[in-house]
Amino acid sequence: MQATFTSFYFLCFYTCILFLYYLIPKKTQWVFLLLTSIAYYLLTGNGALILYPFAGCGVAYAGMRVMAGTEDGRKRRAALVGVVAALVGILFLLKYVNFVIQTANGIAGLFGIEGEALRGLKLAAPLGVSFYTFTLLGYVIDVYNKIAEPQKNFFRLALYGMYFPTVLSGPILRYREDGAQFFKPHPFDYREVTFGLQRMVWGFFKTLVISERMNLVVNTVYDNDMSYGGLSVWIATVCFAFQLYTNFSGSMDIVLGMSQTFGLKLPENFETPFFSKTIPEYWRRWHISLGIWMKEYVFYPLLRTQAFTALGKKLRGRFGKKRGKQLATFSAMFLLWFTVGIWHGGDWKFVIGSGLLHWAYIVCGELLAPVYGKFMEKCHINPKSGWVDGLRILRTFFLANLGFVFFRAESVPAAVRLLKAGACFWKLGVPDGGSVFSLGLDVIEAVIAVVSLLILLTVSLLQRKGSVRERIEKKKLPVRFALWYALLFYTILLGYYGPEYNAAEFIYQGF
Amino acid sequence: MTREEVYATLNGVFQDVFDDPSIEVEDGTTSADIEDWDSLEHINLIAAVEQEFGIKFSMGQVVAMKNVGEMADIILSQIGD
Repeated sequence: MQATFTSFYFLCFYTCILFLYYLIPKKTQWVFLLLTSIAYYLLTGNGALILYPFAGCGVAYAGMRVMAGTEDGRKRRAALVGVVAALVGILFLLKYVNFVIQTANGIAGLFGIEGEALRGLKLAAPLGVSFYTFTLLGYVIDVYNKIAEPQKNFFRLALYGMYFPTVLSGPILRYREDGAQFFKPHPFDYREVTFGLQRMVWGFFKTLVISERMNLVVNTVYDNDMSYGGLSVWIATVCFAFQLYTNFSGSMDIVLGMSQTFGLKLPENFETPFFSKTIPEYWRRWHISLGIWMKEYVFYPLLRTQAFTALGKKLRGRFGKKRGKQLATFSAMFLLWFTVGIWHGGDWKFVIGSGLLHWAYIVCGELLAPVYGKFMEKCHINPKSGWVDGLRILRTFFLANLGFVFFRAESVPAAVRLLKAGACFWKLGVPDGGSVFSLGLDVIEAVIAVVSLLILLTVSLLQRKGSVRERIEKKKLPVRFALWYALLFYTILLGYYGPEYNAAEFIYQGF
Repeated sequence: MTREEVYATLNGVFQDVFDDPSIEVEDGTTSADIEDWDSLEHINLIAAVEQEFGIKFSMGQVVAMKNVGEMADIILSQIGD
């Protein structure tokens, strides 16, 4: 069985689970979800790799029991350090050791040591290792901070860590907000189940109809990056922005919808991020659960360490209260954004494209804020007027796209080459091949893509005013049915799916 | 220190941190009510409150407090100890 939620066999697996979930005694529903999560790992060819998440849950459980059994601060801290070292250590071995080796080899090359000074490791990682590691780490840290109840039952913790819908692409859960519901009985609720299924259809529309089409344009240009320049690069990059967004947010719709059919409410991960007016706002609306995790477990603790407190005092003394405070925050933010970047993958293209580039944007934004304010005042422009907001949205989208070039390109040099090629202004007027239809989508496919994007835009605008599903629910029965069946058949007829089509995997499942 | 006195001091801290003399906080005030109260300023606000009252919030309190009312409760419990 393919791991991806859009595969036919997975949908058969899910349908069977949904029926059985409401047929079995309510008290055993959480045990059933644990068994199906184990089955998911085994059926998707992860076999022995399931030992990794089990070991992770075991380490977290042991640490929690130690913390629960003592008020001695040193013992509690030792337990926390042990859990963090073990979980981060495993994650490092599985995902980042080769990044360190490659970087070391690169540095050795600069000093004239040729060949591979150090050899990389070939370790197979289980599905969603970053997601379940972060979910478990957050829980254990919350128990240490005494804001979450330690789990007494190992198998309940195992369900929380390995719950199959979240394995591929999150969201990263927070036990103190989402944990207890997993173990409560969930009687069948027609409205919740239909709402969940409707959300899943919307997710399939995003991934199968839009993302897969965008993928064709992106691959045409990015897989032949030496042959394209000018406008082609920007068309492909904007397509990648929508590919990534519809792929990731679509998979979230499927995960959250699927969970809703089980009576579980998981945290939202997206809130129409491309409408953001600034980069900080963009990160509050894109991959929200990662942002919250980074804020609570990296950024705040870092800023409250003695080292950063001392640095802040020193900088305030030297540069004054406001600028000193800013500089201390920027230094902590550098480490934060490095971590955000490397979370996306052990490669400098992720460290730059999803991390340090955004750090630079935020720092520049903060430093230039007074200049911007004065400029607007001098030009008598109301900074809150609609057209200024529109320009800020476009600027933020453009800046995010520069990061996406690094994210999607093969490597940092390839990204730089594409950005240089994209800046060839004499080629900006017309794409390579003389037509936009030479980039992977013919006229009909391009029309379908544009119409689908317009549907996405319309729904996204409506979502800003409240739940679209609730609004549709209030319509008369024929209208409701017409809308949902239209979306379903649109997706079935125009989506790229089925065993003969090699669907692109969920982009975030690699993490 | 009474709750009213805590709020009088908190108003001064908020006005200083957010550089806005018009800010008046109450139990239900959250980050959504103050424009510049984002994750960056939250930690600066916490540090300023700690310094003003001579207290120390735990990491759990820093991330879990939901509004100014909860902040005032923690301040009162700590200065009362």
